[in-house]
Amino acid sequence: MTTETIQLLTPEGERVDHPEYPLGDDVDIKGMYRDMVLVRRIDTEAVALQRQGELGLWAPLLGQEAAQIGSGRALSAKDMAFPSYREHGVAWCRGVDPVKVIELFRGVNQGAWDPEEHKFHLYTIVIGDQTLHATGYAMGIQRDGAEDEAVITYFGDGATSQGDVSEAFAWASVFNAPVVFFCQNNQFAISAPSDRQSRNPLYRRSSGFGFPGVRVDGNDVLACYAVTRQALRNAREGQGPTLIEAFTYRMGAHTTTDDPTRYRLASELEAWRLRDPIERVRSYLARNGLADSTFFAQVQTEADELAAKLRAACLALPDPPPLALFDHVYAGENAILDAERAQYAAYLEGFAEAAR
Amino acid sequence: MNKEFRLPDVGEGLTEADIVSWHVKPGDTVTINQVLVEIETAKAVVELPSPYAGTVTALLVEEGQTVDVGTPIITVDVPSQEGAAPEAPAPATPAETEPEPAQSAEPLKQERQPVLVGYGVKPGSTSRRARKKPPTRPGSYPATPSGPLSGGGPALSGPFIGGVGLPPGVPVPPQARTSPRALAKPPVRRLARDLGVDLGEVPGSGPEGSVTRQDVERAASEARDRSISPDEAPAAEPDAVANLSQRGPAALEERIAVRGVRKHTAAAMVASAFTAPHVTEFLQVDVTETMAAVRRARELPEFDGVRVSPLLFVAKALLVAVRRHPLVNSSWDEAAQEIVVKRPVNLGIAVAAERGLLVPNVKGADALPLADLARSIDAVAATARAGKATPADLAGGTITITNVGVFGVDAGTPILMPGEAAILAFGQVRDLPWVVDGELAVRKVTTLSLSFDHRIVDGELGSAVLRDVGSMLEDPVRMLAWS
Amino acid sequence: MTRLTLSRALNEGLRRSLETDPKVMIMGEDVGRLGGVFRVTDGLQKDFGEHRVVDTPLAESAIVGTAIGLALRGYRPVCEIQFDGFVFPATDQIVSQLAKMRYRSQGNVALPIVIRIPFGGGIGAVEHHSESPEVFFAHTAGLRVVACADPAEAFSMIQLAIASDDPVIFFEPKRRYWDRAEVDTAAPLTDALPLTAARTVLPGDDVTLLCYGPMVRSCLEAAIAAREDGRSIEVIDLRSLSPIDMATIGASVARTSRCVVVHEAPVYAGLGAEIAARVTEQCFYHLEAPVLRVGGFAIPYPAARAEDHYLPDLDRILDAVDRTFAF
Repeated sequence: MTTETIQLLTPEGERVDHPEYPLGDDVDIKGMYRDMVLVRRIDTEAVALQRQGELGLWAPLLGQEAAQIGSGRALSAKDMAFPSYREHGVAWCRGVDPVKVIELFRGVNQGAWDPEEHKFHLYTIVIGDQTLHATGYAMGIQRDGAEDEAVITYFGDGATSQGDVSEAFAWASVFNAPVVFFCQNNQFAISAPSDRQSRNPLYRRSSGFGFPGVRVDGNDVLACYAVTRQALRNAREGQGPTLIEAFTYRMGAHTTTDDPTRYRLASELEAWRLRDPIERVRSYLARNGLADSTFFAQVQTEADELAAKLRAACLALPDPPPLALFDHVYAGENAILDAERAQYAAYLEGFAEAAR
Repeated sequence: MNKEFRLPDVGEGLTEADIVSWHVKPGDTVTINQVLVEIETAKAVVELPSPYAGTVTALLVEEGQTVDVGTPIITVDVPSQEGAAPEAPAPATPAETEPEPAQSAEPLKQERQPVLVGYGVKPGSTSRRARKKPPTRPGSYPATPSGPLSGGGPALSGPFIGGVGLPPGVPVPPQARTSPRALAKPPVRRLARDLGVDLGEVPGSGPEGSVTRQDVERAASEARDRSISPDEAPAAEPDAVANLSQRGPAALEERIAVRGVRKHTAAAMVASAFTAPHVTEFLQVDVTETMAAVRRARELPEFDGVRVSPLLFVAKALLVAVRRHPLVNSSWDEAAQEIVVKRPVNLGIAVAAERGLLVPNVKGADALPLADLARSIDAVAATARAGKATPADLAGGTITITNVGVFGVDAGTPILMPGEAAILAFGQVRDLPWVVDGELAVRKVTTLSLSFDHRIVDGELGSAVLRDVGSMLEDPVRMLAWS
Repeated sequence: MTRLTLSRALNEGLRRSLETDPKVMIMGEDVGRLGGVFRVTDGLQKDFGEHRVVDTPLAESAIVGTAIGLALRGYRPVCEIQFDGFVFPATDQIVSQLAKMRYRSQGNVALPIVIRIPFGGGIGAVEHHSESPEVFFAHTAGLRVVACADPAEAFSMIQLAIASDDPVIFFEPKRRYWDRAEVDTAAPLTDALPLTAARTVLPGDDVTLLCYGPMVRSCLEAAIAAREDGRSIEVIDLRSLSPIDMATIGASVARTSRCVVVHEAPVYAGLGAEIAARVTEQCFYHLEAPVLRVGGFAIPYPAARAEDHYLPDLDRILDAVDRTFAF
């Protein structure tokens, strides 16, 4: 069995066609380029902020911009996305202010944007849990009879080993739920290479559960866009789930304190650098006269300004006030918690001087 | 502000690197993330990006130099603005290796080493922040009962629980008691029981109106007003007095403040004397054989360095008698309406200490071999005399002996220690005419006085104990036979 | 008033909730066509359809995980975990997601989910079907944990749990499923005791007996038997295990000055320990004796023929009462 990987734009920036995934003229490729550049710049700035002690950690998406912007742009306004914790590119597509994501990694909250407002659920740090939430949400869409809505959920190659992901596959298929399972196979789960998770290419797993799976070049924004768009359509039309394996590479570390030099070779990194997702789009746009140097310069400036704004906003974030610790645990009353809050307030009030 | 940039650890645990080439010089303007220098580590050549935007003021190390991690390598003048980042390198290249810890311009600020999932360990403080006021006690429940029973209506009119309704004719018990119970900490409740004090009758001076230890002791002593007979209170003389107050040059009376040991002793005696009905029985005993045994024991190596006295033999005799008559080693529990027979014998020894009369006890005296018993008696007595007896030494006694002979008297009516059922006093050993085998002889004679709590010990038992002790002192071999 | 078994009372309560709110759903293994292994959901799929009463695949983690997704979509799922010992695969979804999501989202996300769990022993079962795992969830902030004791309480409490905007772990005493009693099915829910309140089942003077779930009946029977010894025992059904109703408990112990906690779960690190600590702290000056606990031993739940030694029975309960008077 050969592994077919859907590709519509080569690493060199040349367009190829695929009969099952036609790309219309209305595809906003310049917009995709801009999104990827901005998202990469945010990512880079966040890593720098972590190095300076302003963030506790950061999960870089470097190298995965195409998978996230491509699939993110395929979502309709009503579709719901369930990310893991690295989908800052999809957050961008869903209109979540990047500062909100920074807040989580800075530790002033645990991810507090409104999921329904952005149709983008909070980050889920427990590996794979969100795939069940997505499946349940899709089952809710079915019960509502909402035929123009679908769900997408993001997870990595490592997550495919978790039981919850298999359970989600099983349920989505037996209930024919309108959910797209988008697996970013970035080749690593911290230090474990993807062949430690599975002997089979990951996209084939879905056939065991009875629904289609497809592998796409995860560094090709056009392919990611087209394949995701098709899968979402299928879901909305009652054809049930699809598994998309976006074959990409985690150019950065797992999180900022990880040391990838301990488990992978620089040569591998270099090989993937030649398949950079942004470079190939830039080449394509430039070579085909679709964008000029002014455009590229504008995008770069916009990226730098965005980074500076993000930095300033991050540094200005206040720590949560101590008594806010006790808020939002329950909807209803809890006398035990109220007593604890009162006691802690009295305790804090008992210091001769305010804490520095 | 001039900021220093120190050589970071760009890879796991690297300790040094070589400066390969500087990309900037003093006077250059640099921006954040601009490459300042190339360094070579054991692993690779790495570019270090600037964490600051400003003007380079000095290069602190030279190309070709090997530099330790943490060494300052460059200073940059940063125009002061709010939100300036703390000193740390900010590499722009991806796939960065181990990050450098944030290093501060203030030498006192602790470093926090980031970990895979966050900021890393924050050192705790080692000194306490000043508090305004002492801690408050969390709210307690009022002594008076709360209103109607809380809970759902149906439960009160006959519970229906899983088919177990109350059988017809079984009345639902009346509402809770209306008289409030006394409040007291558990140890105070115990003390009240031991002293025979009814907590409900004692006004509480403690928190939330609870009854304190002092309240109970005061109640015990206030209970009666009988004075104490002087023989049986061999307290030390005026040494125990704290203050001498005199009125005028020719005082007709002297007032001695009752404090300290004397106060507590008095309270205990009153509590004992006027709760337990005391009966005292007397027995004169020919202790010639015991005195000889004492002399012989002194010569034995087991008793080297140990004081052997008649007290020791009297103590041993009493312990043997207690084994034969365990009921005499007990306590009257008024609250529970029970006699509590104690298993180990904690033998109290009355000691005249400087502060007053003290009665430390030897724990588990019945299990001690004679030499150890002697040592223990000596030890507790010495400790008490030196004023170093602890509350543990003084509490928990189950039966007591007191040597009134040292005061030059023969007998007395000793007062029971509170919570005990018997006390044995013995007087001086005198040479007296005695009848031995039908003929007059001069023998060593002493008088034993046994007081006991008549609620627990009747005349027959008391007499039996006294007789047994006397018999053993007449002929110490009986001590062996009965052990 | 109708005479109902506890399982029938739950069935009626579930039916009431399904009728009142179209967003309420029931999901679990064998809950639909079979009506549940204890028939608690009998007849509901027939009346409310497969979309609202769902026979799920055999996957506890997914039962809770998809319920979360459905709740995010606006539904009010009532999950059934078939037996107490099988809740553990779902523990991650319950503790890491269900309990935390309101807090994580700063109040933006509500998960009004009920997880029904038959619990406790006394049915002569094989392993894993007689557990009492309530303390794991009581220890998890963000969850409400309750246990019903009799048919009347079951009827009202299940409806209150479903109506709550907080996630509720709802424990049902499986050995009491067949107990019958009068239930006022016409009484408005607003008259019922709130979910956070404890209930004085039998008033008394001498000692407070605290219990929940299957032990409430056992404690009542013990209290009635103790009258022959001249003892007046106050029995309180805790109902809410998180939070516990300290106001009711404290007022009772302040009057009786003695307290015994009874549960099937092991005594070691069980709910009784939390209650004992709080009662001691709040009623210190009132106590004549320390708070005693009766419960399972620090062993895995034993084989069926030995379980009578493990479960607190009338004699062990009254023995603890005797011991509290020995201080």
